[in-house]
Amino acid sequence: MATVNPSLDNTHDDAAERSPLVLGLDYAGVTDTVCKIWEDEKMPKIWWMTLGVALSLLAILGACVGHLIMKGVGVWGNNNPAYWGWPIVNFVFWVGIGHAGTLISAILFLFRQNWRTSINRAAEAMTIFAVMCAGLFPGVHIGRVWAFYWLFPVPTEHLAMWPNFRSPLLWDVFAVSTYATVSVLFWYMGMVPDIATFRDRCKSRIGKFIYGLLSLGWTGSARGWHRYEIAYTILAALATPLVLSVHTIVSFDFAVSQVPGWHTTIFPPYFVAGAIFSGFAMVVTLLVPVRKIYGLEQLITLRHLENMNKIIMATGMMVGTAYGIEFFIAWYSGVPWEGFAFYNRAFGNYWWAYWIMVTCNVVIPQVFWIKWCRTTPWFMVIICIFVNIGMWFERFVITITSLCRDFNPSSWAYFHPTWIDLLMLIGSFGLFFTMFSLFCRFLPVIAIAEVKGVMPREHADHH
Amino acid sequence: MAEENQTNTNEDSKLVGLLAQFDDPDSLVAACNNAREAGYTKTDAYSPFPVHGIDPALGIKRSILPFIVLSIALGAVCIGLGMQWYTNTDSGTISPAFPGYPFKISGKPYFSLPANIPVTFEVIVLSSAFAAFFGMWILNKLPMLSNPLHRISRFKRATNDKFFLMIEEADEKFDRSSTEAQLNQWGAVAIDECRQDLTDNVLPSWFRLVALMGALMLLIPPVVIFRSMGMTNRAPRLHFMPDMDWQEKSKTQTVAPTMVDGENLFLDMRAMRAPVEGSVAWDHLNADTEMHQGIKRDYKAVTSVSTKTGSALTSLTTGQEDDAAAPAEEDLSKYVTAFPVGIEVNAELLARGQNRFNIYCSVCHGYSGNGDGLVNQRAVALAGTGKATWTAAKSLHDPIVKDPAQNPLGRLFDTISNGRSMMGPYKSQISVEDRWAIVAYVKALQETGIKPPGSEVSPAAKTPADEAPEADDSAIPKPTP
Repeated sequence: MATVNPSLDNTHDDAAERSPLVLGLDYAGVTDTVCKIWEDEKMPKIWWMTLGVALSLLAILGACVGHLIMKGVGVWGNNNPAYWGWPIVNFVFWVGIGHAGTLISAILFLFRQNWRTSINRAAEAMTIFAVMCAGLFPGVHIGRVWAFYWLFPVPTEHLAMWPNFRSPLLWDVFAVSTYATVSVLFWYMGMVPDIATFRDRCKSRIGKFIYGLLSLGWTGSARGWHRYEIAYTILAALATPLVLSVHTIVSFDFAVSQVPGWHTTIFPPYFVAGAIFSGFAMVVTLLVPVRKIYGLEQLITLRHLENMNKIIMATGMMVGTAYGIEFFIAWYSGVPWEGFAFYNRAFGNYWWAYWIMVTCNVVIPQVFWIKWCRTTPWFMVIICIFVNIGMWFERFVITITSLCRDFNPSSWAYFHPTWIDLLMLIGSFGLFFTMFSLFCRFLPVIAIAEVKGVMPREHADHH
Repeated sequence: MAEENQTNTNEDSKLVGLLAQFDDPDSLVAACNNAREAGYTKTDAYSPFPVHGIDPALGIKRSILPFIVLSIALGAVCIGLGMQWYTNTDSGTISPAFPGYPFKISGKPYFSLPANIPVTFEVIVLSSAFAAFFGMWILNKLPMLSNPLHRISRFKRATNDKFFLMIEEADEKFDRSSTEAQLNQWGAVAIDECRQDLTDNVLPSWFRLVALMGALMLLIPPVVIFRSMGMTNRAPRLHFMPDMDWQEKSKTQTVAPTMVDGENLFLDMRAMRAPVEGSVAWDHLNADTEMHQGIKRDYKAVTSVSTKTGSALTSLTTGQEDDAAAPAEEDLSKYVTAFPVGIEVNAELLARGQNRFNIYCSVCHGYSGNGDGLVNQRAVALAGTGKATWTAAKSLHDPIVKDPAQNPLGRLFDTISNGRSMMGPYKSQISVEDRWAIVAYVKALQETGIKPPGSEVSPAAKTPADEAPEADDSAIPKPTP
């Protein structure tokens, strides 16, 4: 296995002088680098620490959900007039994070952006775990979780009822469940050739059995690859409009209502841009430590990170433009309620949340204009954490300020979250990081076959 | 020469083909081209990633997978729209067992295409994704859990960094030695025989029985579910979370909850709160006493309604003793003697009165008003055996009932409203107008000349009395004061 040459710079602006995406590895080197994570008998200490903290938070989440189911949704701060409190804020936050994974795996695939290959597997895993966290909140918000199947058109004689197909909330059920299903199919299908690699390298009997089942007997036959590539392209082509539709429909939850500050046509594109923004920030936050801990610097190179930071800056500016347009339209429409809703957002009693959002989402990402900032791993993680704080506050601002200052001044109020609200938000991170830690341990973190496919062929010669 | 790295090369195994290893994708593509030009058709290549140019080299035709996905997607359009149309419109005429549920929202149409597009879109994407995913595996004949290729140790690197070409024994041009020579000539680094172990084809003897039993056991849950779906069950439904049973509230007619300091929440210890004195429920002022109570407007000491009801309830428990005492002090002059303003006596009112009388009154008083209703007959018979306490229903043709001086119109209305003796109050069941209609009908009935049972034995009254001779004596009404 070749060692990395520190003088290689693949972030050079001139493509002719740029080093290749994968630095100094041949085919076996790629396989060895990725499989080393999983073949190591001992996981690094930091992995155990992450898993330990994540499991504790997951236990808290479990206790909160149990408490919620026993006592009812009244344990949250949701109350008149803010019936949608933190649960929907957390839901939109997590769904949005998921979107970057699909963007990397599907949209960049259709655009033939080869640099996606090193990061798409982890990003897709992030999508699935984020959608799990997202689905949790509306799932328990229905109150009687044991009657969850009423959300779906199930023929029942005793109920004699069907869902209302004209409600955006029902569209949400279909959109998010379709999104979760297609993401899992896409992720698993992409992983089968790599699981076959694990199967062929595995030494333990249990591992051979499990990976043998999961790899479905994949041999890497040319006919298999032929159909596989077609199916992969079709799934990418399906996932692309799907991912745009999911956050569009999530934004319909707000935009189809008549509450001032929600009833706007800019919501679908604005939500999608925000979703990609926060999702890429989460990918960077996850991958910088992962590449460091597992020694994946030759596969997830600075150029990958730099490209993602450029996207973060671009989408951050789209979101910033949307904030500005909202104010313009509120003034230009001449509707007093709209005007008040936006004046109230920036200068009302939630001014602090609004300015946290603007600072984190619009101002802070501007540092990525400087090359040092977007090529220094520890620094970009800090920026990306700010971005995710800002994006959580964006959903908070949209949901809470509009609900607490609707048409009727007699129902105005100030929203107070409970400690269950807080613990469930923290606990959802426990669920996310537990799943991600286990994924890093037991599944191929990098799409081994895809990376090999984009490697220059002469690299295969020296071994 | 083929390298043997298999343990099993005896008669139990069959040659599947020859597997040649190559070290880089370009030499694999070149070898594939050579094999195709040499006339081999039953060939396949194995590589750790899709190699460009291998499809034409092997002569692989384009897969039909996109067309499978397209047809499933078109079907999903119909299913998605049809599902929404069926479930949200009045489709009960098509399938009475699972009728649709039309949501009436602001007069909007039940089915409107723009509102049904998002779900249709999601159904299309979901079905197409399933079609692409499962279609690909099925076309690839996967999952295949046993493959002779995996028995070749060298083949493990097909998922790592090596490239393989397989020429199958089933190919017409295949010849063990010449094919091997050709492969060597095309630059194969190593050649393996791929052999299928025929002993694997025999299933263990116990397997079929166990598999059959397992399959039968799998049928049990659906059978149980379908059986319970087709049966009626008197047991209450399974209650997963009985939180509705333990609500933090006090129910009606219970003691108020005790507070932390031991004090009762309310001084009177009742959980129910009485309305503030003098409060009148909406639409229940009933200020017109002539209309609502049958009592003259200028009469001062109005008897409270609750007392009347109370006396009727008391008489139910204590028997007949109260009957003589309670109404004795009654001031008959307070009752109206004519129908109140607003009640116009005409054929329509009488028809309404007859209709209400037949529903509410005839069960005891009989259709002719002679006190021979079926409930009365049965209760009298039971009273005769000592199983019940009963005062026989009054004949409305009794001279006292008929007498306008002793029973003015207002008193008849009051009797219907609040009950008298054993008779219960009917003001909660029958509206004010209908009660006056019954009064009118009773007066009309009294003009028919039907004789009360006591004065002369009429055939109509005789017949039921014959059927219960032991109860006959008590059936004769006592004089009412």
